[in-house]
Amino acid sequence: MSSFEELKVTFFDETSELLVQLETGLNEMQSGTENEDTVHAIFRAVHSIKGGAGVFGFSELIAFAHVLETVMEAVRRGSLAVAPDVIDVLLRANDTLADLVGCARDGTIVEDGFGADCRAALERLIGVEENGAAAGAAEPDDIPGLDFTPVRFDDLDGLGEEPRRYALALRPKPEMIRKGLDPLFFFDTLRTMGEFDLVADLDALPPLSEVRSDGAYLGWSGELRTTSPRADIEAVLEPIAADCGLRITDLTPDTVGDEVAALPDEALSVATEPVISAPAVEALAAAAPPLAPAVNAAIAKEPPRAGGGAKDVKTTAATIRVELEKIDRVVNMVGELVIAQAMLGQVIESLPEETDGRIADILADLVRHTRGLKDSVMAIRAQPVSSVFQRMPRLVRELSAKTAKKVQIEMSGENTEVDKTIIERLSDPLTHIIRNSIDHGIEAPAERLARGKSETGTVHLLADQRGGRIIIEISDDGAGINCERVLKKARDRGLVDPNANLTDDEICNLIFLPGFSTAETVSDISGRGVGMDVVRRNIQDLGGRTSIRSEPGRGMTIQLMLPLTLAVMDGMVVEVDRQTYVLPIPNIVECLRPETNEIHNLLGTAGTLRLRGDIVPLVHLGALLGVTGSQPPADASASDAVSGVRGSDHAGGVVVIAEASDGTRLGLLVDELCGHQQVVIKSIEENCGAVEGIAGATILGDGHVAFILDIETLSELVAAPAMAAAGRRVA
Amino acid sequence: MPMAATFRVLVVDDQLTMREVTRLALQEIGIRHVLDAENGRVALQAATTQRLDLIISDFNMPELDGLGLLRAVRGHPAVRKLPFILVTGRGDAELVTKAAQAGVNNYIVKPFSAGTLRGKIEAVVGKMS
Repeated sequence: MSSFEELKVTFFDETSELLVQLETGLNEMQSGTENEDTVHAIFRAVHSIKGGAGVFGFSELIAFAHVLETVMEAVRRGSLAVAPDVIDVLLRANDTLADLVGCARDGTIVEDGFGADCRAALERLIGVEENGAAAGAAEPDDIPGLDFTPVRFDDLDGLGEEPRRYALALRPKPEMIRKGLDPLFFFDTLRTMGEFDLVADLDALPPLSEVRSDGAYLGWSGELRTTSPRADIEAVLEPIAADCGLRITDLTPDTVGDEVAALPDEALSVATEPVISAPAVEALAAAAPPLAPAVNAAIAKEPPRAGGGAKDVKTTAATIRVELEKIDRVVNMVGELVIAQAMLGQVIESLPEETDGRIADILADLVRHTRGLKDSVMAIRAQPVSSVFQRMPRLVRELSAKTAKKVQIEMSGENTEVDKTIIERLSDPLTHIIRNSIDHGIEAPAERLARGKSETGTVHLLADQRGGRIIIEISDDGAGINCERVLKKARDRGLVDPNANLTDDEICNLIFLPGFSTAETVSDISGRGVGMDVVRRNIQDLGGRTSIRSEPGRGMTIQLMLPLTLAVMDGMVVEVDRQTYVLPIPNIVECLRPETNEIHNLLGTAGTLRLRGDIVPLVHLGALLGVTGSQPPADASASDAVSGVRGSDHAGGVVVIAEASDGTRLGLLVDELCGHQQVVIKSIEENCGAVEGIAGATILGDGHVAFILDIETLSELVAAPAMAAAGRRVA
Repeated sequence: MPMAATFRVLVVDDQLTMREVTRLALQEIGIRHVLDAENGRVALQAATTQRLDLIISDFNMPELDGLGLLRAVRGHPAVRKLPFILVTGRGDAELVTKAAQAGVNNYIVKPFSAGTLRGKIEAVVGKMS
């Protein structure tokens, strides 16, 4: 049954959500911010995982979930106090459960005894009882030892007394409408007393143009079958009795019992048309506009809470579950649409002037709608980063226990929304950076005290949206990077030229080089053969950048800069030496055509531009990318561009002032600005590898391929050609 | 004798997986009119606004649990005779006892097969055709 396989997918989707709920709940319990619902939610999550696993027969998962469920049940009933050591066991159980889910998903065979110690710890909490009798193949269908006889449907007829039938006729007077009394509310109330058939009398309803908002045009007649006495009905209708024509008639023939008895069953099981249904009421409400809000209010407050206090009744958000693949298809279609729209734009532009101007108007509309469509689709894919951040407290706890260091984690900006693809691929880099911070950065408690710091170290996670980028920062208040040691190690491994004179910043960046690891001994925490170079690669694959700041003795910060989306962006199309490039709009500060006297030629530079008191270095884009005239050798291109190829002919060119995310400004000299458009980002890395200064490629409206420039790496190329050269040597 | 083809069932569970599993099992029995609700509150609203022949409800749900739904249904004049089957875990004898007091028609232990489900339903509404 293939639908069974589809169900498995649903199960694992749902289970991963449940695992997040579980962990969030446990974290709340640990930090003491839980409320009474937390424990219930945790219990439900475990219970649901167990139930689902039962359907598919994941026996290890069922058995483990069963023990955890029993423990949570004890917590829920208050028979197990929530002490810190209990939470520790629960957190470990949570990890084991997640691992077991992973095994079930991947079809991995669970090793014998996996999670046994954790399970034993759980069992100790509740005192070892029933030895995991949950999983077994041949179980009876019923609960053993329970005396239960199914109740036949018709046996329920014995419940309560027989209903009586009442005919109701009601015609509101205008006063009733003016008083704001809503007849539908009273019908709803009546319906809670029994079965109520209702017919609206629309005869008096005038044509729409003559309908007055305070007019009373509708009447209703119907039949109510209820066991409630007539007095109850009258009591319900009492508030409107004076303001409407009301007639209540008892239809039940008091003597004939048989006939009456047949009625309710008929209505329950035979009636093919629903009695008056909610949509019908709403349709009527639509005919009498002022009533509609009251109807909704009546529906909303109808459900009675079972267990006392009616607080935090969350109306369930109207959501649907969609496979990511389907959304990706939409994203791709939007990408194609953007290209088609750009092509259309080009064609329309080339039409003769006198062609109907409406085409241009329509195109403008199309452009606007496409942009709206893109934004909407991206919003669908966006998720708050908290889903990744939430996994980190556990990591910090584990590491803090393993290293005997005291570490706490703080987070801010966790509601920042990021594309789901990015979120998914953020977990590994974050994990690694945090491991690194705790393993190498944060000092042991005694050492911290000796340095006048608080005993407990802090790792801070921050997410923020700045410009068109997402910033994620991981900072700690540890020892920072030991530059001497890093440089020595890098030299020992031949990663840098022994004679190169590097600044502290450059030295810090060395830790991102492949094959670099500062840990003297390979610890089982961060020394797993995965270096920071992998982190940088992961982030680069996402179109992002990593940077590092270190203050020796005071801590370090690693910043990840990520694009908002991976698919479409706003770009400025520019031309340099008959080559077309796209500059990301978020990086562009302004475009201008400088006067000659605003440009100052300094020795060894391509000139600088004085811009409202600031000095901005000018860079000839063509030279920097090595496309101007004869191609300079690759190694020399960066420094040549800075040191003044075409030193004097800036005047007349256009300068695009671009700003990298670290605030560095560059004046890029280009030949022409060709326009602003949305471009679809196509990765070139698969085919060409990472190219410095190039973020990707796109297809323009005329069908040509243009490179999208990466201002971040361009500014690096300009600012630190030596570094870039060092990096290249390694790569 | 109820006809499977026109039989209308409301499945109540907060887990999509379980709702779908039950729907598949019902389909195997030949019941195609399956509505679902993710908690008791939504279920009660659904049950009081349309014709139903049976409610199959899980116990553990946010907002209004299966027992709460059962009590609300039995207390509601419009649906108080609606057949109700409670889905429970093995070992929930206490819950089934409570449910029996509240007027449940039958219970079923999850995970269950389509055959078991059929038996549980037929014990309540009679043989399906």
